[in-house]
Amino acid sequence: MPRLAELLGKSDADAARLFAVFRQDTKNDAHVHVGDVHATDAEMALVLAKEQFTRRDACVNLWVAPYSKIAATSYDDAALFEHATDKSYRFGGSYREQQRITRPKRK
Amino acid sequence: MSLSTATFQPQVRDALAAYLIAVADDELIIGHRHSEWTGFAPDIESDVALSSIAQEEIGHARLFYERACDLTGGDADHVAFGRASAEFRNAVLTERPNGDWGYSMVRLFLYDRADHVRLDVLASGALRPLADLASTVRREEKYHLMFGEQWLRRLASATEASRGRMQQALDRAWPEALGMFDPVPGQEELDADIVPVPLAEQLLQWRLGVIGVLESVGLRLPAGKAEWTRGRIGRHSDDLGTLLDEMTSVWRSDPLAKW
Repeated sequence: MPRLAELLGKSDADAARLFAVFRQDTKNDAHVHVGDVHATDAEMALVLAKEQFTRRDACVNLWVAPYSKIAATSYDDAALFEHATDKSYRFGGSYREQQRITRPKRK
Repeated sequence: MSLSTATFQPQVRDALAAYLIAVADDELIIGHRHSEWTGFAPDIESDVALSSIAQEEIGHARLFYERACDLTGGDADHVAFGRASAEFRNAVLTERPNGDWGYSMVRLFLYDRADHVRLDVLASGALRPLADLASTVRREEKYHLMFGEQWLRRLASATEASRGRMQQALDRAWPEALGMFDPVPGQEELDADIVPVPLAEQLLQWRLGVIGVLESVGLRLPAGKAEWTRGRIGRHSDDLGTLLDEMTSVWRSDPLAKW
């Protein structure tokens, strides 16, 4: 499995100083990748991420992860995700609970 | 959160107004200095972060000016922009030019630690509007403390050269940081209800806290205090005059304009 840094053409040193930032709006939401910060270490990355990504809208939690530690699939493997046959039976779209969960959230 | 409904003896009212102005002046002047880094900080992330901190400090200044105006009349903009250098009560520490990033971070660390001690004390006072104001402001100050301390720790422990420059910055900032705990005129009138912990004890608390951090990153504590600086009684360096000329130039072009 390649590391994300290699996919992006970044050196190990650069990738160790680039942190992906994930914010969670409420405790019921998933953490979402909102951008990156440059920092010498994770503690500093959190300090900087707080102002870059929460200065307008408040959130409840932040994660940071260095790019050097993130494993990724390769874009060359995109075929991996394509379906060769009809998979609509997996959607479960006719279940009411499924419809409730996948319904777009009103903001 | 207005103070106007509270009734004070005239000498207490004047001392409290002077004290609130001193707090507001500290916040306004250091906020202005921080804002001078906007566009020039060493990385874009810290540029945004310090610019936010600058906005917050100036926002806090407005709140404290408004409470002072409850007692003395007048309006916050006029107090902030319409006074001469000698009428300002900020600690001299806050008016010094930014110098390098190292000095700015040392100063921010020392300043915000002192501000935090002060806000803790005010928040525990019996004068409700002031205690509420202090605890509101304190919420934002927590981030300032984190930002300053993280930068201080990294610069002091990165290389021999960076440690040396942080020591120089500390040698310069320390004597003037002590001025944060100088009394305003009439301070003795502010009894235990309003400022429940005496300044001397606040100074000790602050010293204990900052020494712990400074020693843990190998910085030596400088000796002494800058004897001539007395920001709390309006004795300032020329740096404040230069700062005020620039900060107030737009306001002075038409003091009656509505913004």
